[in-house]
Amino acid sequence: MKLLALINSDQAWVRWITSAIGLALGLALWEAVGWSFNPAFMAPFIGGEGHPGTAPRLYQFMFDTEFHTSVISSLTLFLTGFAIAVVLAIPLGIILARLIWLRLSLETYILVLYVTPMVALIPFILSIMGFGFWPKVLVVVLFAFFPILYNTLEGARSVKQELLEVARSFRTTELAIWRDILIPYTLPFALTGIRQATGRALVGMIAAEYFLSSSGLGKEIEVASRTFEMASVLASILMVTFMGVVFMRLAQLLEQRYARWRGVDK
Amino acid sequence: MTIETANIQVTEPSIIARTLSYLNDPRRRGKIIAGISILLIWQFSVMAFAPSFVAKPVNVILVFPKVMNDITFWISAQSTLWAVFQGLAIALLSGTIVGIAMGRVKVIDRLLNMYINGFYAMPMVAVLPLLTIWFGYDESARLATIIFAGFFSIAINARDGARSVPPEYLEVCKSYRAKSRHIWFDVTIFSSLPYLVAGFRLAAGRALVGAVIAEFFVAIDGLGMYILSNARSFKHNEAVVAVFALVLFGLAFESSVKWVLKHYMPWHRRDETKD
Repeated sequence: MKLLALINSDQAWVRWITSAIGLALGLALWEAVGWSFNPAFMAPFIGGEGHPGTAPRLYQFMFDTEFHTSVISSLTLFLTGFAIAVVLAIPLGIILARLIWLRLSLETYILVLYVTPMVALIPFILSIMGFGFWPKVLVVVLFAFFPILYNTLEGARSVKQELLEVARSFRTTELAIWRDILIPYTLPFALTGIRQATGRALVGMIAAEYFLSSSGLGKEIEVASRTFEMASVLASILMVTFMGVVFMRLAQLLEQRYARWRGVDK
Repeated sequence: MTIETANIQVTEPSIIARTLSYLNDPRRRGKIIAGISILLIWQFSVMAFAPSFVAKPVNVILVFPKVMNDITFWISAQSTLWAVFQGLAIALLSGTIVGIAMGRVKVIDRLLNMYINGFYAMPMVAVLPLLTIWFGYDESARLATIIFAGFFSIAINARDGARSVPPEYLEVCKSYRAKSRHIWFDVTIFSSLPYLVAGFRLAAGRALVGAVIAEFFVAIDGLGMYILSNARSFKHNEAVVAVFALVLFGLAFESSVKWVLKHYMPWHRRDETKD
């Protein structure tokens, strides 16, 4: 009973040791599974003779210029698509906050597009736009655009009409309305959308790299899985996950930074 | 409804009058006008700029009865939806158990936290080739993708929900020496339900995407494959009908979740219907 209380306590060293044990157990399990299966089926973490490991492969990749090119091409695709989505979605969301009639008429359709699984559009993009860089960017944009717009719209709904009325009574300039009312109200929501969009855009990036012209980390994973080089597959997946964690963390920090702006009534 | 209405004759307004009163609401009118303009823009921009095989609303409507009579379409739809349903059920059950255990028992949380967060951030498409190698090039790979797509968002939300149980409730339970099964089933589960629903909602979206991607990748019969094969043979109009079927499924799910929240979980904090 005392032991149970100890391992559930909040002391720093207990926390650290349990996390370390969790990590060690997970890696040991991975290693054991890797060694007990055929190397074409599963690769262990550290590996050795006959069983190429994931960690050594990842280390090799760090100095592999071909892998660098893949990472850079994936990053370019992701960032271009994401930037376009942000630049389009946020101003559109704020315009919808300003023009209420437009918001009310478009809301339903934006919800419809928000729940549309955008992967289903990849075959159309392929047969209309063909191969190349921009069709892939379009896929990433489609994946990222609607979460941002949908959440910004939610912010737009939270803008107090009284504030806009007071602003009008005092003949406030349009610029000031945007700067002092619309942007502060919608920004926290837009940032929630941006956080949601990072995960979706990453899915879009990999899907585009699989199904449109093959490139980047998607190609690394696909090619390695065709040749059953599981160590390379797992190493590339770890790389993608690392990118995902970093982007999501950054977006989360940004979201928390502006979460206070949501106001007292929310 | 116990009021007697038997003797009261109610004259039904004619269908035209009802339509007119329906259209009288300026909001609805705005929506309808916006919808029509979207369709018109789609129709004319495709006619002006795109090759003739690209889907146009008029052609989609013309092809609609044909797709509805097509048995392949119904088999595909059923196959995809059944797989999503099965996968979500498995993910919901296991994700809730793991998530609530993590939320209430600190050791479990510390042991599993990094794995759950890490796998949650991992895009499911990336592991798709791995899952096809492990589960074979058939429907079990799709089911595995759906479970993988849904499990982690449910587990994370269940964990947050279990953590969010107000401490006063637990203190009251303790003071009255409530049995642990009461604490679990009458307090913890109920107070984490809204979070669970939120997680389930996220999971359903991801599961649908996962199902479609798996069908593309492994060429399993389903709505995704129906879209892919029709788009490849330049029958875009038929493929668009299948996309609409997916959207319809997403919307039906979304609205039923909203309905359940509104009617059965009034303690759900976030005001969804606020306008």
